[in-house]
Order: sequence, then structure tokens, then C-alpha cells
Amino acid sequence: MVYPLSKQAVYVVLLRELKRYWRARARIISSVAQSFFFLAIFGFGLGGFIGAINNSSYLSYLAPGIIGMSLIFGSVSSGISVIFDRQFGFMKEMLVAPVSRTSIVLGKVLGGAFTASIQGVILLVVAIVMGAFTLTPIFALGAVASIGAMLLITSGFVGLGVAIGSKLDDFHAFQLISTFVLWPLFMLSGVFFPIDVVPQSLQVAMLLDPMFYGVELLRWCLQGNGTTLLGPYGWLISLIVLLAFNSLVIGLGTFLFSRAQV
Amino acid sequence: MGFLGPNGAGKTTTLNMLSTLLSPSEGTAKVNGHDIAKEPDEVRRSIGYVFQDPTLDLELTGRENLDFHGRLYELDAKTRQKRIKEMLQITKLSDRADDLVKTFSGGMKRRLEIARGLLHRPKVLFLDEPTLGLDPQTRRSIWDYILGLNEQGKITIILTTHYTEEADFLCNRILIIDQGKIVALDTPEKLKARLKGDLVSLTLKETNKIDTLQQIFEQKTWVRHLDSVIDSNIHARESRTMHMMHSHGSGAIDREPMGQLSSQILQDKKHAKSNLKSELTEENENSKIRDLGPKRLNIIVDNGAHRIPEIVKIVDQAGVKLDSVELREPTLDDVFLSFTGREIRDEKGSYIEMARRFRIMRQARSTRRTK
Repeated sequence: MVYPLSKQAVYVVLLRELKRYWRARARIISSVAQSFFFLAIFGFGLGGFIGAINNSSYLSYLAPGIIGMSLIFGSVSSGISVIFDRQFGFMKEMLVAPVSRTSIVLGKVLGGAFTASIQGVILLVVAIVMGAFTLTPIFALGAVASIGAMLLITSGFVGLGVAIGSKLDDFHAFQLISTFVLWPLFMLSGVFFPIDVVPQSLQVAMLLDPMFYGVELLRWCLQGNGTTLLGPYGWLISLIVLLAFNSLVIGLGTFLFSRAQV
Repeated sequence: MGFLGPNGAGKTTTLNMLSTLLSPSEGTAKVNGHDIAKEPDEVRRSIGYVFQDPTLDLELTGRENLDFHGRLYELDAKTRQKRIKEMLQITKLSDRADDLVKTFSGGMKRRLEIARGLLHRPKVLFLDEPTLGLDPQTRRSIWDYILGLNEQGKITIILTTHYTEEADFLCNRILIIDQGKIVALDTPEKLKARLKGDLVSLTLKETNKIDTLQQIFEQKTWVRHLDSVIDSNIHARESRTMHMMHSHGSGAIDREPMGQLSSQILQDKKHAKSNLKSELTEENENSKIRDLGPKRLNIIVDNGAHRIPEIVKIVDQAGVKLDSVELREPTLDDVFLSFTGREIRDEKGSYIEMARRFRIMRQARSTRRTK
């Protein structure tokens, strides 16, 4: 079944995501608070013990990682919400309409990317207020760039969520996904420690984690530097890896979503 | 046009195929002149589908649910607003339009779903069990609404139901489906005419002699029709496969047991725009039917009240103990029975039905919990 991409359909699925996000404000607050605890407790707690990394405070090292954490959790769950749409029947309403499934997935991806990135921006503001970054004109430019990075990172992970959600037929499996997909992606992304100081086997695992490149790109935007391992063009490498990852998982998500039965 | 059949007969599966949600394992059909396999896009544009299970977004308001739908069907802003207003008025939801759907009652949700199904002015409207689980009052108002739609014309309505009185009340033509097979297609009047007369229903205390009794009654010239009744909840059927095949068959109904049944249905009484040809056959592999045998005989006779003494005497002479005798006019339930040998309704509720209701309840509860 091939339909042209319907702009209205993409827009309306996106709009729905935004509305639902805005109406679940309690969830926004709890999610931001959770990230804030990580930032405050690890930032100030571990920070005093570790000292500086790459000539900046541990808090400033940690902040892009915690923002990344919020992005990945937000976007993957947003993609997986296709399970809920199926459970609550709303999926049928979308599938019986004369619009392509690609449009629906695209709307989901954009919606999930926007909502997760809004969360990221809130955390960025929280981190700035906490004094994680020195406010300079260059930082301001980087902060703006980081919003672009957030959208890029989240769209891929929404796609991953859609792919997973289309394969699962039961939201009890959500817990399993959280343990075996979300947490490893997060823990290996170099949030708490730089890749340069860990054993080689762990380095390999980290390099295989797409989120590692996401956090790396955020560090380049917000701190102006990245890991020694990826070198001075780390940002470019990260950008390329993320673009490749995005096209792969969004493609996969669309494919699996289209094949999924009501 | 109504699809009547017990739970699991294949009504929803048929609608899902006609609406392109499922691809038929064999054959095809035409909806509004469009082939469901070759022109799914045109088919989807022609139809509105009110699903059996709730499909509203509970976190959106009534109006937003309609707006979402209007945009999906690419109505422009002006038309959308006009029609949303119109549909809200017709379904009497205007004053609650901006409340979240999760605060709506079951009947309101159902009305909203019907409003949504009509928003893009489909040529064919599928209503899958439109009044399942609703209270009698709401059911009645939805019936009136559906009849009103039909009288306005320009739309063909296909509804599925397992309530015979609903089919009787609403449908110009009824298609009886049982175990994936079409067993009858006609107007309610003609279907009921099959059982003209009075119905004397005998409930027996023992099941083993029913065959002898049946033979005795079959020889009586005054017996117009005879059915033995099996309680439907004794049945356990497994593994049903349903195939839909293409055919150019016309009206004739073929009643071979495993044969191919064909029909041409869906001629709307005013605007015969839709045309659907379908052929349903069924493969009944591993079908297990445990039954304890019939213990009720339905006899159709003229002037039933005067025949009862004679009937009781015959039963007595045959040495069968009688539990009770009932005299009434045949209903569509009895028609269904005469076609399938089983009662359609199963008041105790089948396992599938219970599981389904349970799922709807659970969903309703967990909606409040999640998000």
C-alpha cells in the first residue's frame, strides 16, 4: 500500500503528541525532578571527589550527559507508546484512515522528538541555573546548537521506540525494555565518566552505543570539547554516526509499524 | 444491512477485511465499487468505521477527537469546523464537546464514535456491534439515530450484531453468519415468514429420546417446521479459519453444509451505490463440538393453543418426561435457530465475550493509571 505522505496526517499526529504531553504535566515535573536529583546529587556529591574533567567542573561534565539521559528515556517511551495506542484502540482509527503509515510514523517521530527535546531544554535551563556552565556568547551559540542536537538525537530514539513498540504486543514487556535497552544505552553513553579512562572492552561497548555519540555531540555544543578518544573531529564523527543511526532506526520503525496488525 | 451471528462467527473479521485492515487470505470484494485488495485507498475514503472496541483518544476532548479525524481525512478547516459542529449537535454532545473523553459515559463515547465515523461523509458506514454493553435507553436512542441516518439516504449502513431484535429493528436485509459461513440473506420479514404460525417450545427432562420424538412429529401433517435446540454454551469450537473469495455470484443462497455460499448484498434501498460481492467459505479444522444433545424441541404449528393438548399427549405416549411447554410467536431468534440448530444468544456469556469485556474494563481502568 503506497500513499503519498500526507502533511495533514503528519501534523495531526504531531499535534496529538504535543497535546497529550502538555496534559500530562505531572509526568513532565517528575521526569525533570528525577534528572535534577541526578544532576545535584552526583554533580555535587561525586564532583567534590573527582574534581575537574577536561579543565571543567564535574557538574559541567555531567550536565550534557543527564540531559542526554532525559532525552533518551523520553524519546524511547514516546515511540513505544504505539503499544498503548494499540491497546486503547486508537491505532485502528489511524490505520483505517486513507493516510500512509509512513505519515503516522513521521508524525510520531516529530512529536516524540519535540516533547523529549522540550524536556531537554528545561533541564538545560536547570543546569545553567545550577551554575554548570559559564555564560559567554560562545556558550549561548552552543546552547542554541544543542537544541538542534537534541532534536536529532531524539528522533532516532523515537524511531527505535516505534520499532520496539510495533514488535511488542503487551505493555508488560515495557519493564524488560527499560532494563535491557534503555539502561544499557544510558549507562554506556559516558554520562558519568569519560571513555578515555575505562578498560578497552568497556570502551568497545561504549563505542557501540549510539547514545554515546549523542552525549558526545551535546558536550561539543555545551562544553566546546569532547573525548580525547574521538579527537578534535569528535563532533563530526558523532553527527555522522547519529545521522546513520537515525535513518536506520526510523526506516526500521516505519517498516515494522506498517507490518504490524491491528 | 445487518450481519447477524453469534460471537466468533466472523462478523468483525469480515468488516476488517472490507475496511482493508486485514487482507483476505483468498479472494476479494468490492466496496463502493472499489476493490479492497487493489484500491485500498479509495475504499478507505469511501467508508466510515465505528469499531466494536472503544477507539477514542481518552486524553483528548470530544471536539479534538473529531478534529483529528477531520484532518486525517483531509477536510479543510472551514468544512471541518462546520461538520464538527453539525455532528456534535446531531449526537447531542455539543455541551460536552470540550471535555476530555475520559469523563464521558459509555453512551456518549459511542455517540461520539458514530459522529466521528460520519464526519467525512462516507458512502458506506460500518457499525460493529453499535450498542454492545449499553443500557436499553441509550441503545434505543442509538437505534433511532441509525434509522434516521438511513432515512436521510445517501449512505449504506452495514452493522454487525448478535442481538436479533437489533437486526430485526434496524435492518432492511439481514445476513446470518455462523462459523464463518453465510447461512441466510433476506429481509427480516421474509426470514420470519419461514416460521409462520405459532411456536410451541417443549423442554424435556431427558435428552436421549428426542430423536424418536422428532421422528414422530415430523410425520404429522400439521407440523410446519421442527427444530431441536442445543444450548449454545455447550459448544467449544477451536481453530476457525475464514476465507473470503471472489465471486460473481448473485442472490441465490446455497445451503450445502461445507459448500461455497455466495451472495450479492448491500443494495441500499434509496441509492444503490454500493455493491459488494463476497463469498465466504469456512474451513473447520479440528473443530470439536462436545454436546450433551438437544433437550428442547421447537414446533411450528397453526393455531398453537389448540394443538398443545395433542402435542403433550404424543410426548406422553412416547414415554418422554416433559419439563415445560411454552407457546409464543416465532422471533428472529427462532429463525436463527432454524438455520444453525443453535440459539444465538447465550445469556451466560461465552468465554470470548467475557474475556473481551474484561479487557475493555481493564483498559478503562488502566487508562486512568497510565499517563
